[in-house]
Amino acid sequence: MLCENCKERTATVTFKKETPNDVTERHLCDKCAFYSQTFSFSPDQEPLSIQQFLTHWLDGTDLFSDQKLDEKVDSGPECPDCGLTFHRFLDIGKFGCATCYETFREQLPRVFAKLHNGHTQHRGKIPASLNERFALKRKLEDIRTKMRYAVDEERFEEAATLRDEANQVKQQLDAGGDDQHVI
Amino acid sequence: MSFEKFIKQELTGWMVAEGEHADIVLSTRIRLARNLQDHLFPISATFEEAKRVSEVVNQAVDTIDNQKFTATDMADLSTLERQILVEKHLVSPQLTDPKKHGSVLLSEDETISIMVNEEDHIRVQCIYPGFQIDQAYKHADQVDSELEKSLDYAFDESFGYLTSCPSNTGTGMRASVMMHLPALTITKQIERIIPAISRLGMIVRGSYGEGSEALGNIYQISNQITLGKSEQEVLKDLESISKRLIAHEKKSRELLLSKSEVHLENRLYRALGTLTHSRILPSAEAAKCLSDVRLGIDLGIIKNIDMTILNELMIFMQSGFLQQYAGEELTSDERDILRAQLFRDRLARKNSVEQQQDADES
Repeated sequence: MLCENCKERTATVTFKKETPNDVTERHLCDKCAFYSQTFSFSPDQEPLSIQQFLTHWLDGTDLFSDQKLDEKVDSGPECPDCGLTFHRFLDIGKFGCATCYETFREQLPRVFAKLHNGHTQHRGKIPASLNERFALKRKLEDIRTKMRYAVDEERFEEAATLRDEANQVKQQLDAGGDDQHVI
Repeated sequence: MSFEKFIKQELTGWMVAEGEHADIVLSTRIRLARNLQDHLFPISATFEEAKRVSEVVNQAVDTIDNQKFTATDMADLSTLERQILVEKHLVSPQLTDPKKHGSVLLSEDETISIMVNEEDHIRVQCIYPGFQIDQAYKHADQVDSELEKSLDYAFDESFGYLTSCPSNTGTGMRASVMMHLPALTITKQIERIIPAISRLGMIVRGSYGEGSEALGNIYQISNQITLGKSEQEVLKDLESISKRLIAHEKKSRELLLSKSEVHLENRLYRALGTLTHSRILPSAEAAKCLSDVRLGIDLGIIKNIDMTILNELMIFMQSGFLQQYAGEELTSDERDILRAQLFRDRLARKNSVEQQQDADES
């Protein structure tokens, strides 16, 4: 296949653009892909591009496409601590304080998915003070997953043991305090 | 003061040619971004609030065992002194904004620098010479864990460490490897490699920063993603990509050598000639020639020059250092003349400052 842009070289790179409605694909050669806007690489641009990226997104169709026109002027939720609105956040590309994360919690997974290759969940280091609780939660998730597998494969005895185990961990967790406390 | 003495007192840990793959990898850097709960991020904080953050962090750093840090407020430094810290890669240009309450805490050997009130409240940075990803991370992680004992970090179960920029949220970690890739550049392979690496969640850019071209064929490879992968996974990705680049670079060097030895030799020796005989040496030309001479040493074509001298020159050829040495502000022409002098002087000696020191002592 020839490159859609220069129509000279062989297309070796495929760009997939996903919108809520459909997926568009472009086939480009290395060179055009390198210079292409959708894949712009400019060394000194790195921190800025996030801003630009979010701003583009704002005037694009993405976030507000499912909202009515009159809601477009709405600046979204506003952080009670630093006064940053979601609209302004997209504009400057920076959070003003830790509470912003709580304020924009619903919108953020989509922002992060775009910036971090589809990832929205932290998987790295955890402060030691939170570690114990976290470990328990992960253990609980783990047991529940195993339990589902056991049930699916009709290993009911094993599933029952796992259920008891899960309840035990759950009790430990509940004893550890308020489950809603996240930060 | 002689250049030698000046360099000796300004030399920083990461500048020596040590560590694994030191011929290709110049340095490894880890940066961890952290913020305090209950304080507005620097971007929205008042001067007073930033000052409080700085006091809290200074206190926390004081409690770290076995490591001494010296705190410096950016406001207490002259423009030139700030520029020098930037040229040594110990602080970011952003930290030096005199309108903000930025400060830095440096470990004795300058391996760890803790920037306070940069984009985030805290940025722990660790630089090691050569290819030492795991060691550098371990060190940065240890400092971070120590700080965490006395500081209340902004952390969320789903989003991880909360940072001012959404591109750092999660681990808050940026790991980068600085590499000298002349053969990949000469053979233009780097143009194909850069977009390929971008697709793997890593970024490649020129190390001297600005400009699309990597000055002196020095590139910085770093992770782009901080969410959804653990620190270890990211470091492993960076390590494997770096190793592939190193192998690729080595192969290209052999190829260059076997295909056009005389042409290559000619180019490398001309570069050495320029560095050792110029009377006016602009920084772009110096960077280009340094790259060639470095390649010449790696290939065994140029002998009797210590790699550490080249590492030193790479840092000390920058305008801040030249002016610091001269003790006054210099025009661009004056800098080029002093730079030429510095190169002639240092390359004539053939030994790095450190070795000279050893020789003096023995």
